[in-house]
Amino acid sequence: MPKRRDILAIVLIVLPWTLLITVWHQSTIAPLLAIRKERLAVRHHRLSDDGVDGKREAGGQAQDSKEYCASDRDIVEVVRTEYVYTRPPPWSDVLPTIHIITPTYSRPVQKAELTRLANTFLHVPNLHWILVEDSQRRTPLVTRLLRETGLNYTHLNVETPRNYKLRGDTRDPRIPRGTMQRNLALRWLRETFNANSSQAGIVYFADDDNTYSLELFEEMRSTRKVSVWPVAFVGGLRYESPKVNAAGKVYGWKTVFDPHRPFAIDMAGFAINLRLILFKPQAYFKLRGVKGGYQESSLLRELVTLNDLEPKAANCTKVLVWHTRTEKPVLVNEGKKGFTDPNVEI
Amino acid sequence: MATRMKLKLKTVFVLYFMVSLLGLVYALMQLGGQHCDCREHMSVITQLREELRRLQEQLKKSGATKLPPKLPAKPSLPTIYVITPTYARLVQKAELTRLSQTFLHVPNLHWIVVEDSPHKTPLVSDLLFKSGLTYTHLHMLTAKDRKLQEGDPSWLKPRGVEQRNEALRWLREDRRVQPGGDRQQGVVYFADDDNTYSVQIFEEMRSTQRVSVWPVGLVGGMKFESPVVEGGKVVRFHTGWRPSRPFPMDMAGFSVSLKLVLANPEACFDGEAPMGFLESSFLQGLVTMDELEPKADNCSKVLVWHTRTEKPKMKREEALQAQGLGSDPAVEV
Repeated sequence: MPKRRDILAIVLIVLPWTLLITVWHQSTIAPLLAIRKERLAVRHHRLSDDGVDGKREAGGQAQDSKEYCASDRDIVEVVRTEYVYTRPPPWSDVLPTIHIITPTYSRPVQKAELTRLANTFLHVPNLHWILVEDSQRRTPLVTRLLRETGLNYTHLNVETPRNYKLRGDTRDPRIPRGTMQRNLALRWLRETFNANSSQAGIVYFADDDNTYSLELFEEMRSTRKVSVWPVAFVGGLRYESPKVNAAGKVYGWKTVFDPHRPFAIDMAGFAINLRLILFKPQAYFKLRGVKGGYQESSLLRELVTLNDLEPKAANCTKVLVWHTRTEKPVLVNEGKKGFTDPNVEI
Repeated sequence: MATRMKLKLKTVFVLYFMVSLLGLVYALMQLGGQHCDCREHMSVITQLREELRRLQEQLKKSGATKLPPKLPAKPSLPTIYVITPTYARLVQKAELTRLSQTFLHVPNLHWIVVEDSPHKTPLVSDLLFKSGLTYTHLHMLTAKDRKLQEGDPSWLKPRGVEQRNEALRWLREDRRVQPGGDRQQGVVYFADDDNTYSVQIFEEMRSTQRVSVWPVGLVGGMKFESPVVEGGKVVRFHTGWRPSRPFPMDMAGFSVSLKLVLANPEACFDGEAPMGFLESSFLQGLVTMDELEPKADNCSKVLVWHTRTEKPKMKREEALQAQGLGSDPAVEV
């Protein structure tokens, strides 16, 4: 009997302590776990270098049958790569991520354009570059370039079907260049981010030949729905700009070219909050039947009204982005067979 | 005595049990009330976010741009003096902006910007001031008869000659005033404001002893022009246009050590030289072909591109200005 009592006593002593310790241990770990899970949702963990490259998905485009050709010939290869941080500023847990969507295509100046764009982006904290190539598969040039920059990136590709492209690179009025690529990036964002998660993000469409000041990225970070600002060298003007009234609301567009468009603004003149993109999963750039200059409107009208627009850049009085275009280099001396060593990458 | 002891022990046990039970309950409450804790944290987070927003607004108001501090100067690295002639036109601010964004990645870089203008313009002064770079702002007006007119093809007259010479003059004067062994350490590079530079090219040129060379992309009517290297020495030049020039290279394809520039105070660019001979006019007195140092992996990689920016179409702007309704000139573009 006393033995049993002793045992009981010992149990009664030890039990609450063990319970206490386990409970206390759990309580300190639990908040850390919560943060970890959030981080995983944003970034894919840095995998080992020997080539676990990401998942590959090849599939038809059932959900986008409206936008894309109904035939199954349009197969989209979505390749995801993991994020790598080296030279950019350290990742902040407070700043919203800026997701920059850049469509690009192969031509002689491509590497130069992407190089100087990367040099700009390397100054911006919490930047995620989504580069979408207009090609059948990811090119080694772009793959290598992205890896060497040390930026946080995602490399995608989708080829604009040949029957939509005119010969040469004159602009095809039927399908604006970069549309399919931008839409793919939007789709990727919707597949990667959960609408319910608290990930703060801003989406910006940056073409690879424009020039961006660093101030612009800080202006767009506080976007709640859609923010707008002036853009230089578009519409045949020094700059185009939204018209802002004394109350700080956008009421019109200071443009000469069709100012009555729903959103008379260039692709580089607005940024969208990621939440809005996720909240309206059907909003894409319209692929066909879009008049020149109406592409931006085709997306924005599904997301916001004029009243919701937030003017930035000191109430749209400063120019922080320039729609520069790079001359096509004259390669006369290459001749028919090519004079220079084709193995040297430019 | 035994019973009293037993009693004491019993009370001790009971007390101990109660205390630990209370402690357990408290801990359970802590765990259960975790959300409360989170809420506290959340409110702190929102407070901090508000603070951050307020501070950002303040910063914006004070006009400071959110640039990272420029790279600290490392005394052991030779300084790269980048000489950029520039002139006022629509795309000038954009070009200088993206150029400065590249230069910010290069440690120990000193940017010498020379405007083709009778005086320093506020646009360039402000840009340089806010850039975060170490810089010198000069100006030198090109004589009217030497200047390209509207509608002239770009190859008609050499550009930037007076400005580069002015920069060389300043550099020589500045070094003369500040003598000292390590003040002679440096590299001079002529960087036009519309080209594209990778960050690597600056590290390649830093080790220049006399004159170093490398390929340049998208120039001379070809994908790239390049010195041809055999046995670690430059033997000839791969170019599609006038390869018989002494140095058939582009301005962006070579850099000169500061020592050499200072040792040859007469060496400068000859504005009268025939088209394409501008670089040769400078390099001829300084170095011979076999003294050239090939960089960029024995001149096999392209790390700089001779890009050119289109002139933006201003038809509508001009039409508006004719009506007196042009865009606000106070808004700097």
